[in-house]
Amino acid sequence: MAGDTPQPTGSGRRVKITQESVVTAIAALLFVVFSIFLNNFLTQGNILALLKNVAILGTLATGMGFIVVGRGIDLTMVAVMVVGVAFAIWLTTLGQGFFGAIVIGGGLVTACGLVTGLLIAVAEIPPIFATLAMASVIYGGGRVAFSSDVLYAPANVAWLSFIGSGTFLGLPASVAIFLALAALVAAFLRLTRFGRFVYATGDNPHAARTMGLPTRPVLVAQYIVAALIAYLAGILLTGLVSSINTRLYNSTLIYDVLLVVVLGGISLSGGQGGVRNVLVGTVLVGILINGMTILNFSYTSQNLIKSVILLAALALDAAINPRDEQTSQSGDI
Amino acid sequence: MTFLKKAAFAALATAALCAQPLMAEQIEQVGRAAYLEATKGKKVIFVPLSQGMDLNQAWTAVWQRHAARYGFSFEVRDPNMDTAAGIRALQGAIAEKPDVLIVQNPDVQTYARALKQAQQAGIKILQINMQSITQTDSYVGNDWIEMGRLEAGELAKTCMAPGAPSKKIVWLAGVQTGAANIYMREGLNQILAENPGLELVSDQPADYDSEKARQITETVLQQHPDLCGIMGIWDNAEVGAGAAVLAAGKQDQVTIVTNGAGAATACDSIGKGLLDVVYNFNAPIQAEIAAQQISELLQHPERQAGAEKTVFFGPITRVDKSNATGRNCWTLDQLK
Repeated sequence: MAGDTPQPTGSGRRVKITQESVVTAIAALLFVVFSIFLNNFLTQGNILALLKNVAILGTLATGMGFIVVGRGIDLTMVAVMVVGVAFAIWLTTLGQGFFGAIVIGGGLVTACGLVTGLLIAVAEIPPIFATLAMASVIYGGGRVAFSSDVLYAPANVAWLSFIGSGTFLGLPASVAIFLALAALVAAFLRLTRFGRFVYATGDNPHAARTMGLPTRPVLVAQYIVAALIAYLAGILLTGLVSSINTRLYNSTLIYDVLLVVVLGGISLSGGQGGVRNVLVGTVLVGILINGMTILNFSYTSQNLIKSVILLAALALDAAINPRDEQTSQSGDI
Repeated sequence: MTFLKKAAFAALATAALCAQPLMAEQIEQVGRAAYLEATKGKKVIFVPLSQGMDLNQAWTAVWQRHAARYGFSFEVRDPNMDTAAGIRALQGAIAEKPDVLIVQNPDVQTYARALKQAQQAGIKILQINMQSITQTDSYVGNDWIEMGRLEAGELAKTCMAPGAPSKKIVWLAGVQTGAANIYMREGLNQILAENPGLELVSDQPADYDSEKARQITETVLQQHPDLCGIMGIWDNAEVGAGAAVLAAGKQDQVTIVTNGAGAATACDSIGKGLLDVVYNFNAPIQAEIAAQQISELLQHPERQAGAEKTVFFGPITRVDKSNATGRNCWTLDQLK
């Protein structure tokens, strides 16, 4: 991956310690410890439950990772997820068929991504501020339109129930969809020219532009893709619990998504990492949450432990990927 | 002749009217004029947790109807779950000196001081459904300890019975510092003490979120495949627990008990098999009781704020498949 080149130090060959390998090791360690000390942790059912519980988080993190690789950040994801799906459900209450409503909702979501992308690429507002503001706008718009926080999907939509409780090759459908999306994004980033543009833009936007890469269209397209991935996560969520809770916008979910991305080793300074990092981060958070739930830790202490881990990951990130004076400029986060 | 007849009728009618002292000139319902006088032009402000919840929508629909009918103003200052914004809304309301302030507390502590200040400023305060440690003129809402006892009692009855899958139960709290949570937990503790053998295997807050409830339930079901029952605090969150139980194919084994405002969505969830029993606290009836309290406070302007502190617990109806119809399942349009 771009910028991921080992830096040999001294005369001897050293194994490079990446954040990804550290996190993988921590995840493996936790997995072994929980397997030994927690009853029923290492059962097929529990492992599948663990994966299913992070399918939404992982899906969102894949979208976020896609953005962070290009040196951006998308804080609108949770707002887009809840408002997009709530809008589609609201359309069904007006007599629209559910599938059609999902398609129209997709249009709205694309428009949200487009506006965010234009604000960042053309108006050149730093992504953290642009998306923070857009998140408020999107959620606020939804809050005005739908009176209730919780909107129930219409009953008897077969494909939606399949997402919630169906299985595909032995995997819960939501997990299979998450993995398929991850594979798609990974292939896109690694194999297509556009994917390489994303890395180049993230690594050094000015150099990329000077070289003649279409950085603006790349940025806009990135935010549209992230919005659509967030929408997909919303559809998965609705399949799982047959309703969408727009109040999730006020929860710590967006930070959990960032946690997964940064934890997995995608540097916030862009140009590095990929979907594999997201998977590693997702699995670690999944193991942590599953273990803490089995141990019956309180919600507050779960958040505390997660936050400490995020902080440690950020510190590690700073130590392993020191900031590059040449490329760290305004717009950096 | 006809003249005499008419005169006699007139005399009789006059005599009849004079015999009723208060109805001297025109027909007037006893006390109505005074009531209209007391409510007219008065100001009522409501600081909710969030208007996005079904119970809040039911309350305000009812109060708006009363306000429009009897000429007092009713305003909602929605802080949308943000406690800091809630305190600002309270401070703003204190400055405006409404005749009655209605407050739904996020927890027992946050608004305690602001409520004290408001009472000292002479504002009458009605707390709705969620209490603060500062007791004010009136509380209308659930008896949350009884709610905890009812839900846990339901599970005790099911899970202590011979042939029950196990005696294991789960408590899916909302937010642990919320008044409702603390009191419901007390009710649960009482039932646990009364039923030795009944085992609480998980006590995790789902943060009023269905996906969180689903995740916790799915994990707990892996740990305790013989789980007997789950009790929760809000029907809209516990549908997630129901989804996890359904996905595991254990809907006949696990009993899910929760409570809610009695909206039609809860009845739908019962119909879909996501919930088994909902203790319905009927938010529209709660609102009517609160409306009685509002009108009483408005009718006694001479009474000092906080001089009399009353508590009224609203109705709780047990709703399951057999009675999830009619008035146990309201929609907002019916209340307006």
